[in-house]
Amino acid sequence: MKRLKILTVCGFGVGSSLVLKMKLDELLKEEKIDAHVETADVGSASSTPCDIIFTSKELSEKLTDSVSIPVVSISNFIDKNEIKQAGLAKIKELIGE
Amino acid sequence: MAILINKKNIKLQQEASDWEDAVRQSGQLLLQNHSIDFVYINEMIQAVKTLGPYMVIVPHVALSHARPGKHVKKNDISLLTLKTPVTFGNKDNDPVSIIFSFCATENEGHLLFLQKMGNLLDDAHAMKVIQESSNLDEVDKTINC
Repeated sequence: MKRLKILTVCGFGVGSSLVLKMKLDELLKEEKIDAHVETADVGSASSTPCDIIFTSKELSEKLTDSVSIPVVSISNFIDKNEIKQAGLAKIKELIGE
Repeated sequence: MAILINKKNIKLQQEASDWEDAVRQSGQLLLQNHSIDFVYINEMIQAVKTLGPYMVIVPHVALSHARPGKHVKKNDISLLTLKTPVTFGNKDNDPVSIIFSFCATENEGHLLFLQKMGNLLDDAHAMKVIQESSNLDEVDKTINC
């Protein structure tokens, strides 16, 4: 099985996306899923190879049209429960669980 | 825990006319601490205008910043709380009464303080104190101890 690559995206790739990455890393650890989480800014996100994108609602609207992979939108970046509800099923689908 | 937010970068229960004024005031704290030049404040405001109010990443809290670069002199972070909340246009997380603004000289150097920031945002008790208190010592102790 190839290692899943997840991208968290915010405006500049240096703030909110890092906070989201932290929470996503925690969730993946809890769920015992081995995946790599990277951050990116919204401008370079569509040209960064990855399997799935996590970002805010506003930015997901900008991204959905330019990428062909799943884009998960999150409104509360530290709410692990929301991240789990919104994205875990898609992650499991991608790794074939 | 080492200091996350310098006490002199904290201002509590201020009044702001709108989100732009609030971001400007919180950026002013970074400017006073010689961590940015004034262009950075304009960039923070421009970021919200062009990218949308996604910086309101949790209910009632904005994490305002612009791109690392030449307008940043050192990594720093400020906290502004508002007596009367303002709206950023983020319908899930508005209205906002807590604004953290940060600046970083490069893309990686601030990772540790953002990690602490993440833990702070996750600490419901600490966030309640920050939101409600007008006592600088109390907020300083909550954040930096």
